[in-house]
Amino acid sequence: MNAVLTLARRELAATFDSPIAYIAATVFLVVTGLLFFFGHDGSADFFGAREATLRPLFEYAPWALAVILPAVTMRLFAEEKKSGTLELLVTLPVSDVQLVLGKLLGAVGFLVVALLVTLVFPIAVAMAGNPDLGAVAGGYLGLLLIGTAFLALGLLTSTWTHNQIVAFILGLLLCVFFWTATDALIKVAFDKPPLTLQLLSFRTQFDDFAKGVVDMRNVLYFLSVSAVAVVGSTYSLQSRHWK
Amino acid sequence: MADGTVVRVRNLVKQYATKTALGGVSFDVHAGEIMGLLGPNGAGKSTTMKILTTYLAATSGDVAVDGVDSADDPVKVRAMLGYLPESTPLYTDMVVYDYLDYVGSMRGFKGAELRKRIGDVIRMVGLQEYVGFQIGTLSKGYRQRVGLAQAMLHNPKVLILDEPTSGLDPNQIVEIRNLIRELGKSHTVILSSHNLAEVRQICDRVVIIHRGKVVADGTIDELEGKVASTHRLILGVQPKAGAAAADVVAALKTLDGISAVHLTHEAKTPVPHANLEIEASRDVRPELFQWAQRDGHSLVELRRKAMDLEGIFQSLTQDAN
Repeated sequence: MNAVLTLARRELAATFDSPIAYIAATVFLVVTGLLFFFGHDGSADFFGAREATLRPLFEYAPWALAVILPAVTMRLFAEEKKSGTLELLVTLPVSDVQLVLGKLLGAVGFLVVALLVTLVFPIAVAMAGNPDLGAVAGGYLGLLLIGTAFLALGLLTSTWTHNQIVAFILGLLLCVFFWTATDALIKVAFDKPPLTLQLLSFRTQFDDFAKGVVDMRNVLYFLSVSAVAVVGSTYSLQSRHWK
Repeated sequence: MADGTVVRVRNLVKQYATKTALGGVSFDVHAGEIMGLLGPNGAGKSTTMKILTTYLAATSGDVAVDGVDSADDPVKVRAMLGYLPESTPLYTDMVVYDYLDYVGSMRGFKGAELRKRIGDVIRMVGLQEYVGFQIGTLSKGYRQRVGLAQAMLHNPKVLILDEPTSGLDPNQIVEIRNLIRELGKSHTVILSSHNLAEVRQICDRVVIIHRGKVVADGTIDELEGKVASTHRLILGVQPKAGAAAADVVAALKTLDGISAVHLTHEAKTPVPHANLEIEASRDVRPELFQWAQRDGHSLVELRRKAMDLEGIFQSLTQDAN
């Protein structure tokens, strides 16, 4: 467990050593800011809204996460592969799954920082009105979970290649696919989509969080997706043995 | 192990999709030994090392370090090894001290113990003045020291160094070789090289790999004795007044034991002389000296031609055929 935390710490520090972290965090803050101030349905923006709510922010923020998080994870394994440091990393007395978890945890650290920065918006709402703090907390939990799933998918694509750009593009496609395309594809393919397929969509699973409802099934769903991606990354790392 | 074997390699086979990298490699490494893994590029040295370090899995065959099978418990084997891969991949954006601190933490050390170990290896490899430098700003020689430091940090049972001097300038090569010899006094070391002279200087024993197979295993002297069925000598002769190089060649050919004489070149300065290469069935150096004295020629050079790696390979692989 110690090695996982050591690696997470090192990855978090390395993330903030590169400009990408600041660019990603800034983009996220600006996009969520725009959503927050102007994203309300209908004509009313934040200043004209009658309701003290962050729902529009929560509904659209996953879009921003799906785009910026693969940029944070793209270097995690691709860079080690390219520079050859992977050879030293995987020959440390640490199991491959610990390495994957350490890297993921470091990336989640970045996500937490990026989310903390956006707390200015709920604070603004709280000063202007009387928002449902439980709903805000639920929304943030949802963003943390869906963000972790995006990070795990991005991490997975980073184990596939030594080229960071390729890792980013594949990660982006995978995240956007799960966030939106599954939903659209299912609706195109079926007149009455079966519930099991609908449940595959991140959007379906995230809906309740955006409304401020925390359902354990949704929580488990995002954790499961992350776990599958972690297992996939571990296998991908081990594929060096049978190539 | 009781017999002092620290690393035991048996019938290692590595089959890639299109080629066989290793075709049944076996050898032992004994405690306290500096073992050289020698072979031309592409012979299978790096593949062997990558399997020893558990980076790659063998297609078949066994590796055991201190009795622990590396397929059964790779993590335990890794804990006993220090590894410096070819071309020394390091995190160039990290500061030397932070990097060693990171590697040490990953290996499970912390607090005062970790600080002491970092201090020890920094002194051992001579990095005292560079602890605060970013690794990317260091010269190749100093990066190599950082690589050795990370490999030494946990005082491993076995140090595995893949071509530790390749890409260094001559001064750095000497420094790193001295350092490895120093480390070898207290550790078991396996290093790979394609440089025979280097292996001769550093290693107690060599295992020569050629096309994925072990073609020789022994001390350098043993190997040279084994392959040196033909003695090759380099001879520099200043012919006596009135004689030409051709006369010298003709005269040498009549001497007992000499099977061939080649005139390699005639030097004009600083001392005019003919440079000859001689093949003989035995070491005829004393006879040559006496011959020159008797016939009135002057010897300006007389030495055995050092067996180069190519020569050894040729001999060994010819023997095998």
